[in-house]
Amino acid sequence: MKKIIYKITFLVLVVGAFSSCDSKLDQVPFDEFGTENAYVTANDFENAIRGTYSGLTAGGMYGGSDGGGLLDAPDVLSDNVTPAQSGRGTRRTLHNWRYGPADGPMNGLYTAGYTVAYRANLILANAEGFEGANKTNIVAEAKALRALAHFNIVSFFGMIPTQSGDANSSLGIAYVTEPDVTIEPARETVGAVYDKIVQDLTEAGADINDDNGAGRMGHDAVYTLLSRVYLYMGQWQNAVNAANQVSTPVAPRSEVVGVWEDTSQAGLLFYIPNEEAVLGLHVGVTWSQGGKTNLIPEYVVSYSFYNSFANDDIRKDAYTMQASNNADGLQFNAIKKLFGRPNQVNGLVDLKILRAAEAYLNKAEALYNLGNETQARAALDVVRTKRYTNPPSGETGTDLRDAIRMERRFEFAFECQRFLDIKRWGLGVERDGFGDLADGSGTPSDVQSLSAGNIKFQLPIAQSSIDVNPNLVQNPGY
Amino acid sequence: MRTKFSGILTLILALVVQLTFAQQKTITGTVTDDTGLPLPGANVIVKGTSSGTQSDFDGNYTVSANVGQTLVFSYVGFVAKEVKVGAQNKIDISLQQDAAALEEVVVTGYSMRNQTVQTSAVVSISASELSQMAPTTSIDNMLQGKAAGVQVTSANGKPGQGAFVRIRGTGSLVAGASSPLYIVDGTPIREQDLANIPNEDIENITILKDASMTARYGSRGSNGVVIITTKNGTRNKDAVIRFSSRYGVTSRINPNYTMMNASEKMQYEAEMYALGITTASTLPGVTTAPGSPERQKLLDRSIDWEDLILKEGVVQNNSLSISGGSDKMDYYFSVSNDKNTGIIDKIGGFERLGSRLNINVDAKDWLTFSVNVGYSRSTSDEPRDRNNTQNPFRGMLDYNPYETEYLLDDDGNVVLDENGNPVYNPTHTTFPVRGALDSEPSIDINNTTLGSVSTMIKFDKHWSYNFETAVNWQAKRRESYSKPGGILDALIGNPDLPGNKFDDQQHRLDYTISNRLNYTLSNNGHNLNVLGLYEFNQYEFNRIFVRKIGFPSALLSTQVNGAELNDGFSNRTRLTLVSYGLFADYNWQEKYYLQGSVRRDGSSNFGSEVQYGNFYSGSVAWDIAKENFINWDALNEFKIRGSYGSVGNRSSLPAYASQGTVTFGSYPGGSSTIPNNVANPDLTWETTTQLNIGVDIEMFKNRLRLTSDYFIRNTTDLLFQIPKADESGVASVNGNLGEIQNKGLEISLSGDIVRTPDFTWTLGGNIIFLDTEIVSLPDGEDIDATNTFNIRFSEGRKINEHFLIRYAGVDPATGRSQFYGGDGNIYFADELPDMENRVFQGKSTIADKEGGFFTNFSYKGFGLRADFVFKYGNWINNYVRSDRESDGLAISDNQATSAFNYWQQPGDTGVLPSPIYAANDATVTGNSDRWLEKGDYIRMRNVTLSYTMPSKYLDKTPISKLRLYVQGQNLLTFTKFWGDPEVGLSSGETISFVNAVAPGEATLYSYPNTKSYQLGLDISF
Repeated sequence: MKKIIYKITFLVLVVGAFSSCDSKLDQVPFDEFGTENAYVTANDFENAIRGTYSGLTAGGMYGGSDGGGLLDAPDVLSDNVTPAQSGRGTRRTLHNWRYGPADGPMNGLYTAGYTVAYRANLILANAEGFEGANKTNIVAEAKALRALAHFNIVSFFGMIPTQSGDANSSLGIAYVTEPDVTIEPARETVGAVYDKIVQDLTEAGADINDDNGAGRMGHDAVYTLLSRVYLYMGQWQNAVNAANQVSTPVAPRSEVVGVWEDTSQAGLLFYIPNEEAVLGLHVGVTWSQGGKTNLIPEYVVSYSFYNSFANDDIRKDAYTMQASNNADGLQFNAIKKLFGRPNQVNGLVDLKILRAAEAYLNKAEALYNLGNETQARAALDVVRTKRYTNPPSGETGTDLRDAIRMERRFEFAFECQRFLDIKRWGLGVERDGFGDLADGSGTPSDVQSLSAGNIKFQLPIAQSSIDVNPNLVQNPGY
Repeated sequence: MRTKFSGILTLILALVVQLTFAQQKTITGTVTDDTGLPLPGANVIVKGTSSGTQSDFDGNYTVSANVGQTLVFSYVGFVAKEVKVGAQNKIDISLQQDAAALEEVVVTGYSMRNQTVQTSAVVSISASELSQMAPTTSIDNMLQGKAAGVQVTSANGKPGQGAFVRIRGTGSLVAGASSPLYIVDGTPIREQDLANIPNEDIENITILKDASMTARYGSRGSNGVVIITTKNGTRNKDAVIRFSSRYGVTSRINPNYTMMNASEKMQYEAEMYALGITTASTLPGVTTAPGSPERQKLLDRSIDWEDLILKEGVVQNNSLSISGGSDKMDYYFSVSNDKNTGIIDKIGGFERLGSRLNINVDAKDWLTFSVNVGYSRSTSDEPRDRNNTQNPFRGMLDYNPYETEYLLDDDGNVVLDENGNPVYNPTHTTFPVRGALDSEPSIDINNTTLGSVSTMIKFDKHWSYNFETAVNWQAKRRESYSKPGGILDALIGNPDLPGNKFDDQQHRLDYTISNRLNYTLSNNGHNLNVLGLYEFNQYEFNRIFVRKIGFPSALLSTQVNGAELNDGFSNRTRLTLVSYGLFADYNWQEKYYLQGSVRRDGSSNFGSEVQYGNFYSGSVAWDIAKENFINWDALNEFKIRGSYGSVGNRSSLPAYASQGTVTFGSYPGGSSTIPNNVANPDLTWETTTQLNIGVDIEMFKNRLRLTSDYFIRNTTDLLFQIPKADESGVASVNGNLGEIQNKGLEISLSGDIVRTPDFTWTLGGNIIFLDTEIVSLPDGEDIDATNTFNIRFSEGRKINEHFLIRYAGVDPATGRSQFYGGDGNIYFADELPDMENRVFQGKSTIADKEGGFFTNFSYKGFGLRADFVFKYGNWINNYVRSDRESDGLAISDNQATSAFNYWQQPGDTGVLPSPIYAANDATVTGNSDRWLEKGDYIRMRNVTLSYTMPSKYLDKTPISKLRLYVQGQNLLTFTKFWGDPEVGLSSGETISFVNAVAPGEATLYSYPNTKSYQLGLDISF
């Protein structure tokens, strides 16, 4: 009898100690935060807008990657660079225009762009029930980011309005304005997409703060972007008007080298500080690894482009460098733009996305197209006087047009523009036939030219994107 | 000394006794088992006295006894027999096996039962079988070829690396979800952690395959359950001290291809240049002329990089165990050390130290306590497993034989750096991996404690209660250092803050508290067992990661020495499971069997709407051989089994997968909100229903044994990251959609071809014939499998089919590659039609026939055993071959000699394409099946020649057992595959073990498999 009592007591104790386990099924994450709690306070929205900006640092966007991102694609696709044989052979499919839907050459940009749009849309949707003091500015930033993301995508995958007469009615992209994970949208026309970009940027420009601090866009950044959009659309006067909104001065010649070594922020309208502990993006790896005497370049400055930099052009020092690899005795005209801060070779530098010089070059081009050569030349000279000790000047007619274009090529070399400029001018890409070494010897690019109007100017929608959205139509020719 | 003295005394006494009693006689005879095999070491005792003897190795005995006395013959596992001494001088005795001991005990985690009363498809591998197997460091590798239906793909050849185990096909389409549930002494353990269990401690591995048993594991059992039980001592037995030791050498399995030597490579470079491959222009085959002094200089310094980077490794194991027991308790104690240096020169491999103590105590006649505790510490040097030259196995093939290890000056002397150390030659790859092996050490340290504490109370002869707490506590640390001044530091380091070190500390605690109430009844041939279960399981993961840069010396690596914090964070996740179960077994006279189970699981990672799931099973069996109308004595067992049930799977589901969440990153200015997971309150487990029909036959006194099972597994509500349109901005949402089916036939057959007292020869083998099919997918749309290269899921197709453009061979007229377009016609790469040209061809990464077979001879004390494993019907994309027969594309890298065999003139067939088109065709070629090869192979996994000392030689020594053996592993392979066909991981840093969806899809320079020769000794006192 006593035994039985022992046994039952024991059993009761043990079972009693482990009742109510059901409540243990309600687990809340430690490393994540419930979405319903994440868009409530003013601070939440500040965090959320920073989260949207951080989408720009994805590998497919300005963060650089081997997968082919916005950071290098406009140069890799064009005539500014030559692949170095000693590199890892990255992005050759892009460089040689050998891409097809299966390669999805710019799919990183496509998905990263829509990720930015989704984050912006989450803010815009949640902001409807929020009345904090910072709401207007946050909404403006979200719209600007949404516009920037779609603009980047459409400029690669669709035609650019000025590219040809049928561009506006050709296949653009889906312009997404709701944070809805179930959508399978069809592509809108290029014209419709640009109109929405303009609308978002216009609304953003009206409401955005003059300065939101480093890493965020402000008034001048939005209007510079808007002037570029109008330039792409061929709306010259609007481009001029937007550019005129920009008051930040162009970086003086003495600051140019420092801007690219992060010792100066002169002329920067929108840049993302890049510290090891915060973002830690070694974006310079896109172009090369190693130091000036043990350099392993992926791409080098194409020989003739390197030699077309005037010796008094400060950008020759800021953007390019002579480097070698002593192990195999090779000498390169290397790309310096993302090489590193003073004494560093790790490729860790701030991401520069919009600069004041662009507003003047946009204006110069738009004014030229409006037939106002004098003012066009004046706008061009604002930039040129801050780059050369003896700036060229006084061109007229097509010489002036070509000078504006060439200055744009110099100013934004290795800076996310060249291929898109060639594309919107309706030109073809002509490479120089020289090799990858400093004296022009070595191995040239496999393919030397892409004719104007070639379908490859519109990158193929990745097969993987079409697989998950049956409403997507591929670009013609793929 | 005292023992010897007493021995002599006994002898004298015996002589005296013999003199005294004249009627005493000497009796001889042989003790055998029921099949006639001699039983060495059987006890022969004169009943009521202390005198007696033991039979010798051949079962013979000689004993003195008086007429009228009784001899007792006994042997462990057999029923003792008594024979009265009469007139006869010779008594041969045949002992019957003890039915209770004869039947193999099967552990199912929640209960133990005899194999003969099983009604389900269960395979049990005992310690004795394990000890005969290839002594690999991780037990999952040992399972290959041992059990029908268990497909094992070793991840790679890295020492201590585990394997991908798939029981009855692939039960899920997402990463990490197709592995079985592993339970060690009541606690779950992850597949990749199995190497933390010392093999010597394992008593038994039981594999539960069909739903009738797996359903008892509810929401975790759908991919089968592997139950690992550690050893216990034997009651009423003096301590047995067992020492086993093994030593051997290991090296890469010789590849079946040859890399070019310096002169061949330079000739190849010249040939490529002549064909217009401009990338060859700077290579020495072009820049130096054959026969020139420059060329000769290169030839003179040439290196065999494979020889230089690899080494012959050492494999070593020592273990000691002490086990025994009294009538109220038993114990098992062990310590062990395993070491495998691996085959990479300059770094070490895997080492494991283990210790275990298992104790069972009957505190009262109604109260039993058990404590099983094992601790192990393993360390593993981790080479880079990338698809570039940071990986030594890629480096050794990429480096050209004319490239030197160190930089040489013009006089051929080694260049020294400012510290006087030789400067590594970065080679054309820019990365000297030999230097990096020194300067970039990475090590994993794993401390694992497996403990289980249980109490059993017997209320009466029917009712008992069991309370068990089982814990798996793992503390893992990875330290990875880029030393200041090292190879990587020079490339990507910060000159002001040289060196870069991270410490990654991961703690995993998995504990289970289990309450079980048991009822048994045995009455008039009715045997009933009912088990009620209430269990709580919690898994918690904690991680701390710190990275600093700026180290003053390569000799200092702890974070306190670092100058600047680069990264630091902690993580935590927690997952809980509450379970209720009721399991019942019934049989009548072990002739008719019935089983049923119900389990209800609630899991914290399921959606709030569907937190609980019910899982059930039922099974029946009939042993026809036990029926009276079967009068065929040769038939020992003929059991027909059938079972059906439903089981769940939640293993790939993240802990908070059903909740909508954001995470926070850092961005200049402060925190940044990153949308992370989209809520799905309906998210639930995937359900597998399984039908199993099987038969067990034993014949001719168990000399012939056959088990065969046919199964159909249907998995529905597949856990899926359901892909969303790219435009939505969200890659995927966790959900349940789709259905797959695995069905197959398993056969295992073994037989004693010869069974005589001196000589036995046993042959056996098993095979699975497997069919897999994807029945339905979300919206019926094809899905490109995540974490694969070219695997696409499509309805009606096999699981893990390659999706590639078909290569149509070389056009004999032009030498250019040809491909099949999506329309079925043949094209050159740039002419392919504007359509989807990739196709399915029914070629999956999953073998449709797999198994193993063995042959085992034993003659007196000698044994010769060979185990073979095979796979058939799987396809591997051989990227390594594509790099080594690259048609000049990778001309800077060394090539295989077979690369010379390219098209040269019209009419050439059986050749590689002409390199002149390679660059243009590269994209299409890369997406084609040109390198897709059959992965079929047969490999002799293990061959062992052993000698067990007959006990008659050991009688006079304290040694009770002595076994010596030599063993070879992976010495023979039969395959047509280019390279090694045993492919699991392609490149572990491209697709890691836990992320692998299609193991064996492709080759990419992961650690190669090794062969070994070992010498071993087992000795017991």
